[in-house]
Parts: sequence; C-alpha cells; structure tokens
Amino acid sequence: MKRAIGPAAVALLVSLWVVAAADADEKSLTIWWAQWDPAAGLQELSQDFTAETGVAVTVHQIPWGSYQDQVFLEYGNESTAFDIVVGDSQWIGRGATKGLYLELTDWIGGAIDLDGIHPLAKRYLMEYPTGSGKIWAAPCETDALGFAYRRDWFEDMQEQTTFRANYGRELAPPQTWEQFRDIAEFFHRPASKRYGAALLSGRGYDSITMGFQPFLWAFGGAWGDPETFAVKGHLDTPAAAEGLQFMIELLKFSAPGGTNADYGGVLNAFTNGSTAMALNYFPFFPGIVEAMGDKVGFFVVPGHDGTRAISLGGQGMSISTKIPALQQALAKRFIAWFQQKSVQQKWITYPGAFTANKELLDSAAFRDAYPFNGTFAQSLDHLRDFWNVPVYNELLAVNARVLGEALDGSKTPQAALERLAMEHEMILRGAGLGR
Amino acid sequence: MGERDGGAELGDHWLKVGFVAPALLLLLCVNVFPLFYSLWLSFTNADLIGSGAVQSVGTLNYSFLFMDPRYAEALRTTALFVVAAVSAQLVLGYGLALCLQERFRGKAVLLTLLLVPMMMPPAVMGVYWKLVLDGSYGVLNHGLAFLGFGQPQWTTDPGLKLLSLLIVDVWMWTPFMLLISLASLNAIPTYIYEAAAIDRAGRWRVFRRITLPMSAPLVGLAVLLRSTDALKQFDLVMAITGPNDGATQTLSALLYQVMFRDGKVGMASAYSYVVLVVVIALASIFLRYLNHLQRRVGTAS
Amino acid sequence: MKNLRWVLLAVYGMLSTLPLLWLASTAIKSRVDSIATTAKFIPVGEGLGIEAGSVRFEATLEGFRALGEIYAGAAHPYYHYLFNTFLIGSLSTVAAVSLGTLCAYGFSRFRILGERDLLFFILSTRFLPPLAVVIPILMMYRSLGLPNTHLGLVILYTAFNLSLAVWLMKGFIDDIPAAFEEAALVDGYTRWQVFLRVVLPRALPGMAVTAVFCLISAWNEYGFAMTLNNRDAVTVPVYFAGLQGNVQGMPWSQVGAGVLLFVTPIVVFTVLTRKHLLRGVTFGTIKQ
Repeated sequence: MKRAIGPAAVALLVSLWVVAAADADEKSLTIWWAQWDPAAGLQELSQDFTAETGVAVTVHQIPWGSYQDQVFLEYGNESTAFDIVVGDSQWIGRGATKGLYLELTDWIGGAIDLDGIHPLAKRYLMEYPTGSGKIWAAPCETDALGFAYRRDWFEDMQEQTTFRANYGRELAPPQTWEQFRDIAEFFHRPASKRYGAALLSGRGYDSITMGFQPFLWAFGGAWGDPETFAVKGHLDTPAAAEGLQFMIELLKFSAPGGTNADYGGVLNAFTNGSTAMALNYFPFFPGIVEAMGDKVGFFVVPGHDGTRAISLGGQGMSISTKIPALQQALAKRFIAWFQQKSVQQKWITYPGAFTANKELLDSAAFRDAYPFNGTFAQSLDHLRDFWNVPVYNELLAVNARVLGEALDGSKTPQAALERLAMEHEMILRGAGLGR
Repeated sequence: MGERDGGAELGDHWLKVGFVAPALLLLLCVNVFPLFYSLWLSFTNADLIGSGAVQSVGTLNYSFLFMDPRYAEALRTTALFVVAAVSAQLVLGYGLALCLQERFRGKAVLLTLLLVPMMMPPAVMGVYWKLVLDGSYGVLNHGLAFLGFGQPQWTTDPGLKLLSLLIVDVWMWTPFMLLISLASLNAIPTYIYEAAAIDRAGRWRVFRRITLPMSAPLVGLAVLLRSTDALKQFDLVMAITGPNDGATQTLSALLYQVMFRDGKVGMASAYSYVVLVVVIALASIFLRYLNHLQRRVGTAS
Repeated sequence: MKNLRWVLLAVYGMLSTLPLLWLASTAIKSRVDSIATTAKFIPVGEGLGIEAGSVRFEATLEGFRALGEIYAGAAHPYYHYLFNTFLIGSLSTVAAVSLGTLCAYGFSRFRILGERDLLFFILSTRFLPPLAVVIPILMMYRSLGLPNTHLGLVILYTAFNLSLAVWLMKGFIDDIPAAFEEAALVDGYTRWQVFLRVVLPRALPGMAVTAVFCLISAWNEYGFAMTLNNRDAVTVPVYFAGLQGNVQGMPWSQVGAGVLLFVTPIVVFTVLTRKHLLRGVTFGTIKQ
C-alpha cells in the first residue's frame, strides 16, 4: 500500500497538469467585464449572437475592486484567457502602448457605423491618444456619474414647508453645488440616523478620483494640460483647493465612514434608507430602483458658477493581442454584431446598459427604458475623463493616498493638491510624458 | 542526538545524498534560484505585463528606494505592527498560561476552543472582521452603543486602522503564545517549586526568580517565531484596508502595490531585496538563539 | 488572587470565542438578517413571526444550501474551490512530510558536509515573506506554464513547508534511539529497509504533528494563491476574499457557512494530534 502511494501521487499530479492544459476545441468567445448589472445583461444578449452564429459566448464577471488587477495580471501570461476585455476608459493608453489591445483603426471604419456614435464616446472610449483617430476599442457601455435621491422625502409636504422657511427656496433637485449643500445640511439628522449625502471617497482603485473630479472641474481646476502634461498650475490652484474644500465640507453631511466610501459603500448608504442623496455611476442604480421603486428619483450632477462637469465612465470592448488570429476574427465578428443598431436597441432594454449610438440616446425608447436613463442622457454634454495615459494606475494610486489624507484631515486641501501635483508630475515625467 | 554513521559502508555516500538531496533540490529551485533571478531583476526595468525588452537600469531602482517615502513609511508601519502585536500576544498569552496552570474540569475543551482562532484563514477572517468592525453595521459598535460608548470608525478612521489590524492579529495569534507559554511553564520541574516552598519564598519572589527566568528561553523562541511571521503581514492588510493605505501599508503590502498595481517588477525586486537582507539577519539571530536554547534546555533537564 | 485568574480566563475566553460564535450565527442567518442594522443573536425556529428590530432571528440553513450554487460573478460554486484547496493542501502536505522526513533522517543519522549551514539555509526559507519572492516565482512559473494549475501551488507549498517539516522531523527522529536501526543493519537489512520498517513507524506521531502544521499553512495560504492561481485552480481563501466589491454585496451567511466547513478538517486533525502538538510547536526543544 505504502509503495503504491508514491507513483499514484505522481500519476495524479501529471494527469492534473495535462487536464488543465487541454483546451476545449469548440468555437467560443470569452469576454471579461466587471461584475455588475450591465455584464449580466451582456451575457443574456449574447445568446442572440450564439443563436445566429453558433459561437458560444461567456461573459466572465470580476468584482470592480479586483477587476483591474486581474486583467493586467492575465495580460502577463503568454496568452490571455479572454478574447475581448471590456476595459475601463482609463486603461486605453496602457492597452495601446503596451501592445495589449489590438489596433482597430483600419478595420473598424468598415465594420461599424462610426458616424452614428456619440462624439464623446468616440473621444473617450475608442481613441488613444485622444483626438488622434487611432482606435483601440469599440464602445460597449457609456457611463457617467449621477445622483439618486429620496423623492419621497423631497415631496413630503412637511419637509417642503420647513425647507422653504429655512432656505427661502423650494425643495427640489439642486442645480448648483451650493443648493446641494443646503439640501444635504437640511436632511442631515444624525440623531435619527438620517444623513444628507453619500459621496465617492473610497481608497481603492478610482472611487476618490471619480468623486473628486466634478468638484475639481466645476470650481475651475484641471488634472493638467493634455498637450504639455504640465500639472502644476492646474491641479494646485486656489480654485482647485476651493473645490476640494467644498467636497470635504459636504462630507460632513454623510454617514459615519462616509469619508471612505467606495461604489458599494455609497450604494449601501442609500439602500439602507438612511441617506437623502447618493453619488454613483448610473449602472449601479438598477438595484436601487428594484429595492425602492418610486421612492427614488435621479438628478444630474450639479455645477458651480455656470460650469457643470461630470465624471465620464464607460468601457469599450478591446480585443486581446495575445490570442490566436482565429479568435481575434471571432471577436471582431462579435463587436461588429454588437454595434448594429438593432442589437443596440435590444441592449438598452437591459438594466444599466447604455448605448453610444447618438440616435438611440436621443430617443424616447432609451429614456423610457429605465427611470435614470433620461438623467443620463442629460449628463452627456458635460462629460470629462481622467488621464488615460499608460501610467494612469499610478496616478490613481497616489490620488487615493494624498486626496485621502485631505479627506481624513491630515493635510489641508491646498497642501494636499500641491503634493499631488508634484507626485503627478514625477509619475508623468518618469513615464516620458512632458518635460 | 542520534548516532551518526561514519560512512564506513560502501555506497553509503549515495544513500546519504538520496535522503537529503530531493528536499535540497526542491528548495534550490523554488527558493534559491528565484533569489538570484530577483537580484538580476532588481537592476532592470522589468514590467509586469512583460511588454517590450527588459533593459538594465543599473542601481536606479535602489536609489529610488531610498527616496521613496513609502518605503520608510512601510518599514515604520511594519516595525510598529510587529512590536505592538507581539507584545500584546506575549502579555496575553503568558498571562493566560499562568491562569491555566491548575487542572480543572473542561480544561482540555477550553484549551482547544482557545486555539481555534489560530486555525482560521487570515485572508477570510480579515474580511469577516471588517464586517464585525464596520462603523455602522458592525456588531462591535452595536455592543459599544449598547454599553453607552461612542461609535469609533474602526476601518475608516486613519488613526484606528492600524489598531483594527492589531485587534484581529492579536485575536488570531494569542493562542499560539498561550500554547508555547504553557509548554514552557509545564517544563519547569516541580521540585524547584517544592524547594522554594520549603524556603518559604513569597509568591512574587517565586515568580520573579524561578518561573520567569526558567520559562523565558522558550517564550523567547515564541516571540522570535511570531515576530518573523508578523513581519510578513499581508493577508489582513489586503482584507481590511487594501494595499495602498498609508496607515496600514506593511512591507508586503507595499511590495504588492509596486509589483502588481504599479506593475514595476524591477523596482519591486529591489524593494524586496532590502527586505530579504533584514530577514536573513533576523534568521541568523534566530538560529543562534535556538542553538543556545537547545543547549540550555539540555543542561536544565 | 485566585478569583482574578478565573475572571481573566472567563473574560478572555469570551472575547476570543464571541467572534467565532458570531460567525457561526451568521452562517445560520438569512441573507437579510446577516446585514441587518440591529444585532440579532438569538436563533429561533423557522416559521415564528419576528418583529423588526428584534434580537431574534430565524435560523436557516440557507447559507449552507447556497454554497452549492454559483454566486453572482463567480465562475464556480464554493465546493469547487473547497476541492481545489483540499487537493492542493493534502498533496503538498504529503509531499512536504515525506521529503522532510527523508531529509531529516539523512541529517540525523549521517554526517553531512556543511550540515549546520545547510540546516540554517533550510530554516531561513521559512522567514522569506512570500511577497518578496512571488515576483521571480511568477516569472519562472509563467515560462513553465505553471500559473493557474494545481501542480504549481503544490510545488510551492511543499517547498515552503519543507523548512518546518525538516526541523520538526529532525527533532523527532533525533529522539528515536539508533540502537534499533543498528541491530537491524547488523541483521543484514539495507539502510532503506531499516528506514521504512524501523524508523517510520516510530516517527509517525511526529509526522502527524508536522502534517498538521503543514496542512494549516497550505490550507489558509493567501499571498501565493492569489497571485499565481487567480483564474483556475483557485482556493477558498482567494475565492472568498475575491468576493469583496461584489455589487450584490458579500454573501455573509454563505461565507460563514463556508468558513465553518473549511475549518472543520483542520480542527478535527488538530484535536486528533493534540497530544503531540505542544512538542511540535516548540520545535522539539521540549522533551515530553
């Protein structure tokens, strides 16, 4: 018996290795995306593709917190497990310059209707460098930040009267950040576990960056000059500091732990019924609608001094360079199929799924599909994005630390932004960008 | 010690090799070779994604290491964590062992129960403790509210994050210290205590002059063991705050951040080499102490 | 003074066990109850009406049952990952104990050149932070096609448990009198037969203890498993930790149930070998 154990174990090990290495030979396509409603929708929708072409499609979903890590870890292998990756808009620079994304410039014009795509989607989800016309992804999900709010609280007669008395205005979804502050202050009643606002301030991946951007831009700051890659003079201006200070003030009206809330945290703060207004990306909202129905309303991110700037979100479908040519051809077929107007019309019927098709975005069909679609459509004109350079991930990481310190109170906004500008420039110069 | 074969039999040399070689070979491949590879990598600009040719950058990575405030910070955080965690575990573990000196019914069951935290996967327990420590939903804060205390934000307040980490680590590893302290206390021969009783020595004196010194060597071993383990702290950091948090970024977390998030393999290799030097130094201290201990226990018994 | 002892024990015992009890109670809660804003800690039978805000909750096996299903965003149900852990854990433990015993016997019975240095080298591998070596190991594994395989982690865990195995087994084997082996050798048995028939049976308790420590280490390992086996051959710690950030929230009752199941083999194994555990934990420096 004992003698048999050795060889048996070896045989087992070898067979494990062989089994793991063997590939299924049927035609199939693997897509990687983050774990949320639109991905589930894509999985269902792609059954139509399978019906048409006989190619099985699997959408592998990875929670947002580890999505970026997993994808780029996978890219280190000789061949990737995915054929198509629905990459975040910021990744496009990295994907393009490191030879991870297949360049689609020559192919895509003939395969899909480029003119039908919203210019912002083209600019931020498809091109790198921005404005160059070189294309690395086809739009999958256009996205933006928006607010969900407790419509039942806003429409309560008692609340309305009290608000009018205190602030001299009607209680309604705010257009400016100042109006927003008033409403947040009004609904902030910690004694009864009610809070005014939940903002994005999480320290993993990009929550805090996306949460801070609207303030940065609305108050007149910027991440830097896209041509010269200069950061000082854009990020560390008094205006930018004012924006950061305003955000910190607003966070006083959030639930405990609100200074470190990521996408899930903000969602929780709202769905547990305690918070009046919550900032998040639209595709996170279907769950809220399901849970709270008519009690929820949505409004566009407010502006300041006439400037309204909203964080763009969204992902594009890119084809991996580390797969056989046959798979790449299959992937192209899928992308071309997906971009068809008829398919996009079905796409928008899934919760949280947004199209980049200009016509559809304007249509009533889109607006009526879900309660927040109309608000999203209104947000489109104000969208801006973060850096999409190859070292974006280092910029995001340093944002999380330094902005986090400002939110925690260990640095003043001005000091934090000055520090941040310095770090950003170091990172950008280190990557050979700018002088 | 067992007796040694002088190698007088023919062919015994190959037998010797046969016994020892497989293990050494495996260690060579999996531990030694990577160390040399890592050394080479530390002088290059290797990238996680592996795109483009790997170029030599001389000592650039090392000079960057000394300039990077994160490295000094991580050293400080790790040192603070190790000292705080091991001290707490030592005091608690040893104290508990003293309490468990007598026999009583259910002692074995109690002991087993106390040992369970040690057997749980730190990575998962970290996530679970995050729920327990949650500022709004956590059962700990519920309890505190019930008792009339405030609601500290354990996992989001920058001043408390390291404390949260410590709480979980102490909960998890005090049993280890308890176990070894028990062993060390049990190893003290009873006749010494009897002699002290005859001399009418006071309890405190007995403790200070007999118990403490005689159990010290073994407990010292436990401290060293736990310290080297605490140095590697990674799982809990990942689970509770993520690797990029200034308050809790231990050395391993920093390595993860640089290697897997920033993708800078060359730089991360340089960072880890400096860590390895520290670790080897500790290992030598450890071994020297172990030898000293074995001699000492040998003479005592 | 005596009462203080009991107080301390009671307090610590409570503090230490409460989180475990809470985990166990989470395992038998429904999804909704596990994230309720008020603490619920008294389980009652199913079907009884319970007011909101009460400290009672309906005990349910929903968490355990759900382990058989695939949770949103995961590729497989829990049992798939449990199987991976079991396979990788047991294979690496068997390998580590076997190689370690062989090696320890060699160091114990033969005079080997550079023995002290070799033993130091073996011990020092235990001190390597996994994250410090994962870089070159990942690169090495990639060129050999070993990431995301069971074999890859088995090799790694065996290697990293070897230091412990060798040191523990050397302590145990040193204690076995060589007289029996000498006698057998004189009788004409080969060294290998002597090892198998005379030494191994006596070393079994030691091997059991070593196996416990190796198993715990491999079972609960996270650093290597997360970075090397992120896609296939994924183990339970990586699976559960990876559920963080899931839009549907963490399935706490499943996590509770899963952890309880996960830890049971270890606890059972530990209890079975508890008599020899103390010896192992002190690196064999205590003779019992």
